[in-house]
Amino acid sequence: MKLTRLLTLYGIAFFAFIYAPIALVMVYSFNANPVNMMIWDGFTLDWYRLIFGMETGITESSTYIDSTPQLHAAVRTSFVVAFSTTAISTVFGTALALAVARYRFRLAGFYRVLLLVPMIMPDIVLGIALLIFFITIGMNLSVLTIIVGQCTFLISYVFVTVSARLAHMDVSVEEASADLGATPFATFRKVTLPSIAPGVFGGALLAFIISMDDLVITYFIAGTGDTTLPIHIWGMLRRGIKPEINAIATLMLLATIVIAGLGLYLRSRQK
Amino acid sequence: MYRAMIGPGHSACPGSSSESTLMPAPLEITAASKSFRTPEGGTITALDDVSFGLDGAEFVTLLGPSGCGKTTLLRTISGFEALDHGTIRLEGQDVTDWPSHKRPVNTVFQSYALFTHMPVSRNVGYALEIAGADKATIRRRVGEMLELVGLAGLENRRISQLSGGQKQRVALARALAGRPKLLLLDEPLSALDKNLRQKMQHELKSLQRELGIGFIFVTHDQGEALTMSDRIAVLAHGRIQQLGTPQALYRRPANLFTADFLGDSNLIPLVVAEGRGILPDGQSFTLNGAPRAGTLMLRPEDLTRTRRGEAGLTFKGVVAARYYSGKDFQIELDCPGTGRLLAVLRDDGAVPDTGAELTLHSATDALHVIEEVQP
Repeated sequence: MKLTRLLTLYGIAFFAFIYAPIALVMVYSFNANPVNMMIWDGFTLDWYRLIFGMETGITESSTYIDSTPQLHAAVRTSFVVAFSTTAISTVFGTALALAVARYRFRLAGFYRVLLLVPMIMPDIVLGIALLIFFITIGMNLSVLTIIVGQCTFLISYVFVTVSARLAHMDVSVEEASADLGATPFATFRKVTLPSIAPGVFGGALLAFIISMDDLVITYFIAGTGDTTLPIHIWGMLRRGIKPEINAIATLMLLATIVIAGLGLYLRSRQK
Repeated sequence: MYRAMIGPGHSACPGSSSESTLMPAPLEITAASKSFRTPEGGTITALDDVSFGLDGAEFVTLLGPSGCGKTTLLRTISGFEALDHGTIRLEGQDVTDWPSHKRPVNTVFQSYALFTHMPVSRNVGYALEIAGADKATIRRRVGEMLELVGLAGLENRRISQLSGGQKQRVALARALAGRPKLLLLDEPLSALDKNLRQKMQHELKSLQRELGIGFIFVTHDQGEALTMSDRIAVLAHGRIQQLGTPQALYRRPANLFTADFLGDSNLIPLVVAEGRGILPDGQSFTLNGAPRAGTLMLRPEDLTRTRRGEAGLTFKGVVAARYYSGKDFQIELDCPGTGRLLAVLRDDGAVPDTGAELTLHSATDALHVIEEVQP
């Protein structure tokens, strides 16, 4: 009995440890105190107004957002990068998964491992390698280098997710389609793709979220003018933690939950 | 072995006599060979110089144990596997190098392979949808097909809402909707329970007669093969061991494999001298033809307690085991000199129990000699 209570206590402590910091950030984002956010000074939405560029009662000196347009530009860059990389890595990752699963060729196992390595490669190593590569081939750092660079590892995530789905798919269904007269492309469109769609969608979602979130690799390969949201936040933090960061973090969390929730909802509907 | 029985043109098919002789055979496979590489680096010969064909709209079963090549043979007809050597002709047209989506044959898969993301109607109408038929035509054909397989009105059901037997029928309707020249069935009844399987066996057989197209049916179930087929091809080790009517295969198996695989049989070694076959216990009988050695095959139901006619063989022994199966008894009889014999005796209330002495007879016309010596 006593052990059960101890275990319950441990469980509560465990989840508190994980979620308390995130909860704190959310609470602080509504704290009116502009100087010390550890002291509650009343409820405000000013930090949210600030990052959306609306009128606030905050004096200019207490904020760190050099300019709201810079923040908005960073958000825009992040979305451009995330949508591009998601589209590219979903197409290539799915094609690779299909190739490895459906065709028998020499060293298939070796190629499979090669496709998984970018996921476990240390970010620093990948960042440095990409930076050196881009400089060597004479490519100027820009949004394009961020997109190309992120795709190198996002493809792996899509590959893994789609491969898992393909592993559960009955090959004879594709044979049945061909048997009934469908060309290989028609079979892909009418049978294969609908069957693996949840995997493809899940992979795309994962790629989108990871792309939006990536700091280390993107930091190495971003041009000076092309700041993504995580890099922008990192820049703000270097000059001290200020309340509007809490608001930005809370919004990012909300966006992630909405996207992931939407994904789970669409997946459950398909079953 | 009776190699002459293998191959097209040598069959005696009762159902095909009405076919015009000018029509090319629905299917003609010549000298087909196929081998696979194993992951360990070896090779498996799945088909070894197989020639085989359909003479008309007949129901032919490919029968054999797993790994005998029957499924590979079916998959080379549908185009899922390419032959290493040999040719495949459908109605005279060489389709050896055609991809499966161009071949006018359809398959009913063992796992059914239904499209679970489509309703029943789109499954059944898939071939027509692919061929670009208009919606009204597809709807009409789907209705016809579902009617044919006894699932009228189930157009909008999801595949997950169907029972195993219904899935089976949808798979059948889907394969027939595109009017194939030939229907291939890969152990389609193996997942059904016994009663439903028997019902489907009869339905498939009558469906084949009604449609007037060739059915090639793969199974490892000899009872199923005997019940449904116009002809049976027994396969083992990538070769056709024997091809013929169910009666011919059962009564006159060409080799020990067929005798052993189709039904129960007593196989007794023979010594041949002066045109007579001599059994180990000294009995002998007149041989037709002149084999040098061979094996006598006796079906269990050909052993009777009463003697039919003057000639024939007699086996005296002790009942070693007796099993009741409803309408008859299975008897294992230990005979000195001959060994253990299997017999099936009708339950007339006087079948002796274990340990009793029993004398069984077999008439001369029931004796079949296989020109092969047991190893």
